[in-house]
Amino acid sequence: MNVISRGIKNALRSPLRTGAIVLMLAISIGLILSMLVARSSVEAKIASVKALSGTGIVITPAGVNGFAGGGDPLTADQVASITKTAHIASISSTLTDQMTTTDTNLTSSLQLGQFGRRQARSDTATSSTTTTATTDTSRPAPTPRIVVTGTTNPNSIASNGGTLTITSGATIDGSSSALVALVGSDLATKNNLTVGSTFTAYSQTITVAGIFTSGNTFQDSGLIMPLATVQSLTSQAGDVSSVTATVDSSDNVDATVASLKTTLGDKADITSQATQAANSVTSLQSISNLALAGVIGATVAGAVIVLLSMVMIVRERRREIGVIKAIGATNAKVIGQFITEALTLTIIGAAVGLVLGVLVSGPMTTSLVTSSQSSTASTTTAGGPAGFAGGARAAFGRGAQQISNNFTQVTAALTPQVFVSAIGITLIIAIVGSAIPAWFIARIRPAEVLRTE
Amino acid sequence: MLVVKNLTKTFNTAGGKVAALENVTLTVETGQFASIIGKSGSGKSTLLSMLGALDVPTSGSIEVDDVDIAKLSSGKQTDYRARKIGFVFQHYNLIPNLSALQNVMLALEFGHMPAGKRKARATQLLSDVGLEPDEQLRKPSRLSGGQQQRVSIARALANHPAIILADEPTGNLDSETGQKIFDLLHRLSRSENTTILAVTHDMDIAGKTDVTFRLKDGKMTTI
Repeated sequence: MNVISRGIKNALRSPLRTGAIVLMLAISIGLILSMLVARSSVEAKIASVKALSGTGIVITPAGVNGFAGGGDPLTADQVASITKTAHIASISSTLTDQMTTTDTNLTSSLQLGQFGRRQARSDTATSSTTTTATTDTSRPAPTPRIVVTGTTNPNSIASNGGTLTITSGATIDGSSSALVALVGSDLATKNNLTVGSTFTAYSQTITVAGIFTSGNTFQDSGLIMPLATVQSLTSQAGDVSSVTATVDSSDNVDATVASLKTTLGDKADITSQATQAANSVTSLQSISNLALAGVIGATVAGAVIVLLSMVMIVRERRREIGVIKAIGATNAKVIGQFITEALTLTIIGAAVGLVLGVLVSGPMTTSLVTSSQSSTASTTTAGGPAGFAGGARAAFGRGAQQISNNFTQVTAALTPQVFVSAIGITLIIAIVGSAIPAWFIARIRPAEVLRTE
Repeated sequence: MLVVKNLTKTFNTAGGKVAALENVTLTVETGQFASIIGKSGSGKSTLLSMLGALDVPTSGSIEVDDVDIAKLSSGKQTDYRARKIGFVFQHYNLIPNLSALQNVMLALEFGHMPAGKRKARATQLLSDVGLEPDEQLRKPSRLSGGQQQRVSIARALANHPAIILADEPTGNLDSETGQKIFDLLHRLSRSENTTILAVTHDMDIAGKTDVTFRLKDGKMTTI
């Protein structure tokens, strides 16, 4: 029998007390594990959100939102300076325009509806202030317009974040200036267009290269053409209404945004998806912080349990410690024996606690995330309908969809790292819990045994 | 041989310094059975503490086989206790969750005996003090007072100590058992050539030892 075996034997000396200490420790360690699991799951989700949506930057002319607002489009020089900015891996530029019945022979597949009438009314009001002679009876019946998107990358229009779905024909080369178009499925149906059909736009004959579908009614009622074609047709050479830039690494997004703001000044509004993603994961971050506080709290509680238990045991066995020292035990041996005892109690508590933690961590993580999800859902609804924007909006739509999925995708993942952390914390509990009792032991003088005789 | 010269121990109390021992001088030859008698508070236990290196004297020297144990470092004093001293307490002070055999083996562990040899040595010692094999495996709570004191004596003898210090070894036993324990100690002092210094109230026992010292108010008088 040596120090270790005596320590283990002593830990089991009083079954009732050992049971009580183990139970308290198990609850504490179970809580630590479940909090570590919750934190690990949430942190993993935050990291994946940032990695997925973190490298996009959208640059729009200052004051413009879709077809609303005012200001000048971005110029070719500005686009060139964006391209040259450090860390920007690629860009896609977009210029959008709206065709009325005078610009094209196509009929819009959209119903005017309340939103359309509101738009038409504001346009007419603007017109009447300049002509001052227009009356209600002479105003032409308002019709919905057809949105034309000129882009260097047709896939940037896809609302699902992937490749644009071409249902027939082929996609177009965004860098060309050919008179070709991808027609939205709704618009194609409305005007009986198929691949190879032609239609008139801006007094030019345009050939249908393909039909696309995006699942978005607004986009499926529009046209996509090469950027240069739209610039030429609308006499806006070099102008773009938005640029979506991709940064080489999510770590460089903030620096690139700062650099672009310096370059473009107040001529452009710059929004990074990383910022939006960061805002959207704030509630997840709160859960992560809460879980960390839980880990710290439970660790302190565990250490205090071991500490008080060992102080109680040392005080109770003061005489025994004196005897052992009197017959030749060194302080190191006696302290080693009591640390072993504390470790044994902690390890048994940890074993029970880990089982307990595995059982409760899943439901606990789900519970924490579900309560956070409900509060976030109400915020999203209050945001109102998104609309009227072009490709840039689609990019953010993808991000929002991704973010809304975060909460439901958090799973209680018990990784080896989490287990190692839990065991490490358990050892810290045992060592911290034994430190003060060890100091007490070192102070016990063997002479006290004789004094109490 | 144990030689104590001018041993003084004072304690600081609220009422000032109190001398528990004052210029105590005594000599006990190797293999002698000596007893110390005195009233409560006369300084018997304090003297035993000094001799067992459990406490440090204020002044004076304690030489065991020509080594002044009062001047040893803390670590060496621990080693001295393990190898040179055996303690026998009035209340036996056995470790309650260890068997009689394990209690003796514990002392052998502290005396640095190789693990493989401890059990045989402990069994032999317990047989020498009269404990049956089945009794050797019992925990102290399942042994009588006399049996526990025998285990305590076996533990004290474990590492062939130069001195056995016994603090009221028969004080907790009936007179018949006390006599048997005394006889055992006496026999061992002869067979093992071990010096035994026993504190006792029992004048009958004190009268049968080789030499008796009387402590009164911290001062030593030879009878």
